[in-house]
Amino acid sequence: MIGARSRRILITGGNAGLGLALAKKLARRHSLLLSGRKSQNEVAGTLPPGAGYVVADQSDPEKSALALVRGIRDFGWDGLDNAVLNAGIGIAAVDGVDSAEAIRQTLDVNLLAAILQARALFPLLKKSSGTLTLIGSVAHKGSATIPAYAASKAGLHGFARALRSEWKGQVAVQVLHPGPAKTDIHEKAGYDPGRMRALFLAPDDIAAMMASAIASRRSPATLSWVRYLNGGAFTGRRL
Amino acid sequence: MKSGPRRALVTGGSAGLGAALVDWLLANGYEVVVLDRDRPWTGKTSVDFIRCDLASRTELDGVLPDLVSGGPYDLVFLNAGINATGKFEALDPRTHVEVLRVNTEAPMVIAAALFEAKACRAGAAMVFVASLSHFTGYPGAASYAASKDALAIYARSMRKYAASRGVSLTVAFPGPLKTDHAERYSPEGADGSKRMDPDRAASLILTDALAGKKTSIPGAGNRAFAVVGRMFPKPVTAMMRRLLYDRLKS
Repeated sequence: MIGARSRRILITGGNAGLGLALAKKLARRHSLLLSGRKSQNEVAGTLPPGAGYVVADQSDPEKSALALVRGIRDFGWDGLDNAVLNAGIGIAAVDGVDSAEAIRQTLDVNLLAAILQARALFPLLKKSSGTLTLIGSVAHKGSATIPAYAASKAGLHGFARALRSEWKGQVAVQVLHPGPAKTDIHEKAGYDPGRMRALFLAPDDIAAMMASAIASRRSPATLSWVRYLNGGAFTGRRL
Repeated sequence: MKSGPRRALVTGGSAGLGAALVDWLLANGYEVVVLDRDRPWTGKTSVDFIRCDLASRTELDGVLPDLVSGGPYDLVFLNAGINATGKFEALDPRTHVEVLRVNTEAPMVIAAALFEAKACRAGAAMVFVASLSHFTGYPGAASYAASKDALAIYARSMRKYAASRGVSLTVAFPGPLKTDHAERYSPEGADGSKRMDPDRAASLILTDALAGKKTSIPGAGNRAFAVVGRMFPKPVTAMMRRLLYDRLKS
């Protein structure tokens, strides 16, 4: 039964933003392995106590998938209850057009890495009848500010729809689309939301909605103001 | 006001839907630039041919200047695509990489380069060829579904910018076509008789593109499928699973 026992949970991009907020929420009850681009030394002290960390740079999708599998084995896990493929970058388009470099980087990190990681993690997830969670974005329906980012998230949406059917009865697959959160993704992307930022949800609240959506295994789920105002951060299943 | 003959670019113009598009354009007096991995097998000599395997970033970067100087264009068809059907986890990782590179990354990079170099004339039309799979789940071709959904949304995201440059963006969602490509990737025993003739699909898509329509779903049956797929995602995805995934051998 979900919520009754400690789960082995992998969170990519778990050293910052929503990934870290989710990790902090789950750290007390579950066993966590987080991944990120930064080195062990750089993240030391910032992660929740007890969580493992593996370096997996998503800008090389194939290597990142191998790094995760190796990291899980070295951590002593022989199965995986949850994989939350959350790592992602955004690069604001300059004058309306993404550069070739930005397009390639965004697709590699946000989409291709998740696809190859899902493939590599399949045996571990299958063994534990686990859940694969892909973190999309409300931008998956299109955005003129961040076209390549929107495209990468739309790709995750279509990927989840297909894979959820393919892996039915073996591994649950879902895609979650969080709304904008008060993380540093906008600053990193070179985009200033200005006063709009006041309307962004707190990372903790999004993380709470992510946790209950993961427990429910439903797909797709949009985690934004509508859900929040319906009590999404306080009610729902517990992971 | 027209200066010289109209020019068109077609990626993947050597076979399938692309070849049908090239035929239509040549018959209607366009000068055509074709980008493909292989020479046109129909032996078309009247096109400017640029050889490039879009799965390779270095090859694409190498021909981008030629693509730009081949303009300015009145019509751009980002049509090249490959498929990979099979159980997702059983397919080689390289296959998934190539599907994403050819179907998503390359057309995005080409479109961005053409916009930056102002290689489209005002009043031009640019067409992104996605897939009818956009309106359903597509078990048995998960990375392909991802690649085409990403492309469709990129086009949608770029529409406003393109309009500011006087370029209309059309996303085409063709259904199954009678092409070698479709036959190679459909399961054994699949009924090919209901597939659309590529010449017909090409002329329907061209009509929509020249009219500046946002989306083009060629064929009434395909349009009905798109509506039903949107309204009932679960049963339609289950049906797609029976049509493709359940018939896969491995």
